[in-house]
Order: sequence, then C-alpha cells, then structure tokens
Amino acid sequence: MEIEVKENSENEMVFVLNNVDLAFANAIRRIGMMEVPKIAIEYINVIKNDSRMFNEVLAHRLGLVPITSDSEAIESLIPHEECDCEDYCSKCSVSFTLNKTWDDLPKDESKDKDIQRIVYSKDLHSTDSKIKPVFDTIPLVKLKEDQEIELEAIAMIGKGKYHAKWMPTTVCSYKQYPIITFDGEKELSNDVIDACPNNVLKLTKNKKPSAQHLKKNIENCTLCKSCVRASENDAIDVSYEDNKIIFKIETDGSMNPKEVLLRACDVLYDKADKISEQTEEEIKSS
Amino acid sequence: MIPIRCMSCGKPISAYFKEYQQRIADGEASKAIFEDMKIKRYCCRRMFISHVETWE
Ligand code: SF4
Ligand SMILES: [Zn+2]
Ligand SMILES: [Zn+2]
Repeated sequence: MEIEVKENSENEMVFVLNNVDLAFANAIRRIGMMEVPKIAIEYINVIKNDSRMFNEVLAHRLGLVPITSDSEAIESLIPHEECDCEDYCSKCSVSFTLNKTWDDLPKDESKDKDIQRIVYSKDLHSTDSKIKPVFDTIPLVKLKEDQEIELEAIAMIGKGKYHAKWMPTTVCSYKQYPIITFDGEKELSNDVIDACPNNVLKLTKNKKPSAQHLKKNIENCTLCKSCVRASENDAIDVSYEDNKIIFKIETDGSMNPKEVLLRACDVLYDKADKISEQTEEEIKSS
Repeated sequence: MIPIRCMSCGKPISAYFKEYQQRIADGEASKAIFEDMKIKRYCCRRMFISHVETWE
C-alpha cells in the first residue's frame, strides 16, 4: 500500500492510496468518523438563565461547539467509561464557566439599536488552559438589558457513534481514482467539454483533448459521467481503478486531519489486537 | 439565531456568520465571501444565504 499526500492544511487533508483494499479504506473511514475520541460538552448546570432561549436549546448549542481535542490536550483526561465515578469527576471531565450580564457584553455594532447583545464562545472559560473552544466567534445566546446568564458546562471525551457532537470529522470520504480515456479517432465536441461540472476536460488548439490539463485536474472528477452522456459518438469513456482511491478528511477544527487518520489506525489496530488475544485465550482454555 | 453547525455536514459555520454579515453589509457578493472563507459545499452556503433572523 502506498500513500501520497496531495493536500494537507490545518483542517483538510487529501491523499491518494494505491494498492489498497476498499474494505480496509472503508474501515478507516468509519472509524475516523465514529470511533476517534474527542471532547464535547455533555452536561450543563444552569444557575441563572434570563435569556429567551430554553435551557435545553442552550445545552444543545453548547454541545455542538467544537473544543480542542488534539492528543496533547486530552492526554490528561480519561474516557468516562474507564473512570470509576458516577456522573463526572476531575479525572474524566473539564469544566467551563459562562457568566455574563448585558452590561459585560459589547454593543452589537452591526445593529442600529442596542437591544440585544450576543454571548460568544470566547466567553466560555475553561479550567484547563489547553482545552478551549476552537472558534471564538460562535454566537451562543442573546441577552437583553438586565438579563444575565450563569452556568457551568462539563465537557467529556466521547465517540461519534454516541452523538454527532463527538465526531471529529465533517468530511471523511473516499472515491475511486478515475480513468478517463479518449477514442483518438473520434472528434470531441465542445458539448462534452462543457458538460463537465468540475472543469476536468479541455481542448487544445488543434481540437484534441488536453492531456496536461487532464493530468492536473483528474482528481476533481466525481465519476458523474455527464461527459459520457453528452458525447454522441462515444469519444470519451470514464471508469475507475479498483485499488486506488482518493481519500479526503476535513475536520471541525478540534484536531488536525493527520491526527484523525493516525488515531483511526490506532483504534483499528487495537481492535485487531483484541481479537488475536482473545482467540489465543479461547484456544488455550478449550 | 444561526445554528452552530451546518445541518447536513456538520461544519461549524456559525463561527463565520458575524464576518459574513459584516461583509454583506459592506456590499460584497456572497460568492466571493464564501470562496474567501473556504466554505465550499452548497449545504454550508445555504445556511448563510437562507438564514432568517427570527430572534431580534
Ligand atoms: S465523469 Fe463527470 S466529473 Fe468526471 S470528467 Fe466526466 S463530467 Fe467531468
Ligand atoms: Zn470520572
Ligand atoms: Zn455543510
């Protein structure tokens, strides 16, 4: 199996896997979404909420706020399942406080009248300096004059399979590597070129398909076959490679995509390890 | 209030909403703003375009 990283930024990574089994790639994809642990707010204790937003809605909004979960940040925490406390304790949770009145908040500059002021995610104060909301600008709730909000939020480690707020990825998907072939004897019409929604195709000056342009853009092809349908003389054919895929991971900012991939591999490794261990034991005891 | 995340894909779009509103008020076109903010999918874009502020 070969991996070739095409793009790697703070929250998006694209790589090509060659000679890979699709079932294996799918295992990585599913684990990346569902079983890579991250932190999200799980409980809130509301002391005061004068705003017009119900506590339940506020709890839901707070739960969805992405919180930094890279391995450095969460190494000191253990998952709640492995902890021997009942609800939560300092070993398995981090607490945030939110305490704001209308007077504390700055005026909303985009409005003419100063009636409502917005509480943002930057107003959540964490007990752990490494664990904090990824974005400062997420609007949480609005307050009117003389209103106050005071609450404590408890964040815990969880997995995407229990609730979508614990999913580290927003996109975690793959597609098979496209193969686009032209019938050299037939003429490629402009309709075919224009049919492609992703600008994969282009004609050179002497009306031949541009190989250079194709090479550069072939990974944008979604295998939609619009070009094949638009071609009346079968001058173009689109298929895909069986064991070569383009994988894309985009995260919500709580960790970088490389870490999602590495941790997904770790989880898969642990699972396989558990099976081999249990098999050994089973055979020994029977 | 704008939902925290895109309802289809889960991207935390609300973090960009303040900036978006500001730039729209300054007369910029939505498409240019989205391309600049790297909001690529139409599920996320519709969260901004179709948002109606009912809580004022
Ligand atoms: S299959 Fe779709 S995306 Fe690919 S080249 Fe044809 S029209 Fe473009
Ligand atoms: Zn505990
Ligand atoms: Zn979306």
